[in-house]
Amino acid sequence: MGEFRVHRVRFFNYVPSGIRCVAYNNHSNRLAVSRTDGTVEIYNLSANYFQEKFFPGHESRSTEALCWAKGQRLFSGGLNGEIVEYDLQALDIKYSVDAFGGPIWSLAASPSGSQLLIGCEDGSVKLFQITSDKIQFERNFDPQKSRILSLSWHPSGTHIAAGSIDYISVFDVKSGSATHKMIVDRRYMGVSKRKCVIWGVAFLSDGTVISVDSAGKVQFWDSATGTLVKSHLIANADVQSIAVSDQEDSFVVGTAEGTVFHFQLVSVASNSTEKQWVRTKPFQHHTHDVRAVAHSPTALISGGTDTHLVIRPLMEKVEVKNYDAALRKITFPHRRLISCSKKKQLLLFQFAHHLELWRLGATAAAGKNGDVLPLSKNADHLLELKTKGPENIICSSVSPCGNWMAYSTASRFFLYRLSYEHDSVSLQRVPKTPAFLRSALQILFSEDSTKLFVASSQGPLHIMQLSEGCFKHVHTFQPPSGTVEAMCLLAVSPDGHWLASSGTSAGVHVYSLKQLKPHCTVPAYNFPVTALAIAPNTNNLVIAHSDQQVFEYSIPEKQYTEWSRTIQKQGFHYLWLQRDTPITHISFHPKRPMHILLHDAYMFCIIDKALPLPNDKSLLYNPPSLTSESGVVRRRTPHAFKISKKYKPLLFMELLDERTLVAVERPLDAIIAQLPPPIKKKKFGT
Amino acid sequence: MVQLRPRASRTPVSAEAMVDEGQPASEEAAEHGLLLGQPSSGAAAEPLDEDEDDDLDDEAPEELTFVSAQAEARAEERRVRETARRDKTLLKEKRKRREELFIEQKKRKLLPDDVLEKLTTTPPAGLKKSPGTFKEVTLQKKTEREKGSDSRNSKVQKVSSFGQSKSYVARRLKDQDLRDSRQQAAKAFIQNSLYGPGSQRTTVNKFLSLANKRLPVKKAAAQFLTTGWGAQKKQNAQRFKRRWMFRKKAASGKDRS
Repeated sequence: MGEFRVHRVRFFNYVPSGIRCVAYNNHSNRLAVSRTDGTVEIYNLSANYFQEKFFPGHESRSTEALCWAKGQRLFSGGLNGEIVEYDLQALDIKYSVDAFGGPIWSLAASPSGSQLLIGCEDGSVKLFQITSDKIQFERNFDPQKSRILSLSWHPSGTHIAAGSIDYISVFDVKSGSATHKMIVDRRYMGVSKRKCVIWGVAFLSDGTVISVDSAGKVQFWDSATGTLVKSHLIANADVQSIAVSDQEDSFVVGTAEGTVFHFQLVSVASNSTEKQWVRTKPFQHHTHDVRAVAHSPTALISGGTDTHLVIRPLMEKVEVKNYDAALRKITFPHRRLISCSKKKQLLLFQFAHHLELWRLGATAAAGKNGDVLPLSKNADHLLELKTKGPENIICSSVSPCGNWMAYSTASRFFLYRLSYEHDSVSLQRVPKTPAFLRSALQILFSEDSTKLFVASSQGPLHIMQLSEGCFKHVHTFQPPSGTVEAMCLLAVSPDGHWLASSGTSAGVHVYSLKQLKPHCTVPAYNFPVTALAIAPNTNNLVIAHSDQQVFEYSIPEKQYTEWSRTIQKQGFHYLWLQRDTPITHISFHPKRPMHILLHDAYMFCIIDKALPLPNDKSLLYNPPSLTSESGVVRRRTPHAFKISKKYKPLLFMELLDERTLVAVERPLDAIIAQLPPPIKKKKFGT
Repeated sequence: MVQLRPRASRTPVSAEAMVDEGQPASEEAAEHGLLLGQPSSGAAAEPLDEDEDDDLDDEAPEELTFVSAQAEARAEERRVRETARRDKTLLKEKRKRREELFIEQKKRKLLPDDVLEKLTTTPPAGLKKSPGTFKEVTLQKKTEREKGSDSRNSKVQKVSSFGQSKSYVARRLKDQDLRDSRQQAAKAFIQNSLYGPGSQRTTVNKFLSLANKRLPVKKAAAQFLTTGWGAQKKQNAQRFKRRWMFRKKAASGKDRS
């Protein structure tokens, strides 16, 4: 395999933003997650929980509510008072409508999917009609005294329950008047000066209203008489979210202490028909407030301030007890946020509102396997570039020679020229970028840094020529077919002949740069592409998918390579397929064409195509003690997958030159240390 | 009638001697007053305790004619009036000076009159010169407030686009303020209800260290040192150290030479 010196980088101060709302769509098995910085991410739960689309955030858009409506339409409402509809095809904001009620706290789509209800800051509940292309204001319900924080429709669509501060109102939809007003106790037993905030309500079809509030209680109300039926005290802190399953036999609540409770409708005695709600399972997967929960037919989904998205399949609902029934915790991003300039040893880190450029340190010492070499020169923070405007950065890139840097937000594209004198760097913006380069999903520089490839969010792929001072448009490729996806990835061959793009659902398109026309298309696979790269010399395109399959396609021959066919026939090792996190980067060794280097968040692997493939019975992860065994043992147990779990959690790993690797790690403790304060836990003896 | 010995120190003249002065009435009044043993009214009252101090003399109390007393009183009043008038005039002058100063400062702060005139009279011309660009015309009106007023008080006049394509929008800042204030109130509500007083929150450090405290071998807190403490002290110490070392070097250099 070879010996490498590894630059272990831990100065990437990446802190993801907390999850605020979660909405599950049953028809397409997709999950929409909105974060506190305004980003909305769509996860495809059937494609191995992969994040397939995302809408970049905006400073003024602090989303407080998210919901799916009929026909795969996604709406969100936030504190800026606007209802936003997202266009899932064009990956854009379709439109935003001002609700004129002040900040919007809650949003609920009717069971039929054609009406939308919003709860506002000024206490008004507004009903909107969802038309084919827009939403239209219909009428206001009776205004209430305090802000409406949660809303829920009765499954028949005749009544709604609205939770406010200290009370819950039940409205009749036809007349718009409040039929009942249920006053909630401020504390389970006793009095309190702190007002009781009703964070969530749910309306069941038998007329029961379930409410969760900031006193830590879950209460069951009868909406016909407006009285309290049952009250459970489940936490010392707020209970912040509730989600009911479609069959209405179980629901899940999330508390501010990080605990998620599962309630189920269980029969009182084994032979009686009478049922009651019982708290069955507590789950402690979060350390901070759980602000959003969702209930899919087979799993409980929770997300909160500690930025993890946890999907817990319920054992009784899962049919086949295989790896699919394991807990999934999504912490690290599913796309690359770091780009690297090999020649000048620079790393570009992408944050939400700024970019950081660092130069790697250097060492003069030498050592053996496992030594930590002292640095002769520290890593240098060369540049911090803040973005103008309130929008988040979608993608960024630095050229391999280190002289160009580009990034894009949702409405603008920026290109900069870097110049180095001694140890400092100076930046110069390239003015007058063409109008069609407005928002890019992916930016890539060619190996010799003369061309810039931009995949724009509308679909076309632009090629620009870069030279000393100027910047010229060369060609635009239109996508032949298929819908655009946000995880658009680009790869260019090191000799500059071929460009591969995985932006559409029709497969990976390969274009010839010499003749400026499409060359071929790799057949579509039903799982999205997570990483793409073209090998030097052989021009083999290596594609990694979200179900952990890796394909190798030969571009000049327009067919899959022999090695790829062999491994598909034999199948990957079961442990390889059971990995949680997707492969985010693939790179190659310049002198060894048989090696492919790939990494995901918890391991990095060098695939040696010359060695035999492992079967299910052999060990996939080589134990480190193998190097000390005798030569005979080593010769008997080699296989193509050389995996190391030494550096984790990995955000990025790249081969800088023949003997150097750079690994960017992000320890979880460092992220947790920068999160907002959690609820105090009292433990005996402390 | 008691025969009163004339007092050398006090009594100016005996009663008989004052007859020629021609103030019979005052004499009588004085005598009367003395006879009655009461001090006469107001201005001519004699300090009685001085009488008692003079133990040897049983002299007649000091005689103060009405005329003199009146004259004194009038002089006093005149003096008071004069001082009041002077004070008033001083205050008036001071106020006048301050007013002038303020007017001057206000004049300095505002744009010169000609520029203001230009702005108020020719907004359409200004707009026509730059088509299609987003422009907010802010006019600084003469506010009633003093120099404490900042740009928040300036109003934006609704400017309509004259025949241009609707490529920019002029908005009243007052509406925007209302929207922002509601958004601020909403954010404050969330912050208060989750992290405000009454919510039992703890720091992340304490939270992570809880596990360390329960271990069989107790470990230190997750973040044991507070590096941000005493930043100024540390900086001063560093500076002092540099200076001391420089001095030491200079001193040792001098010794050696």
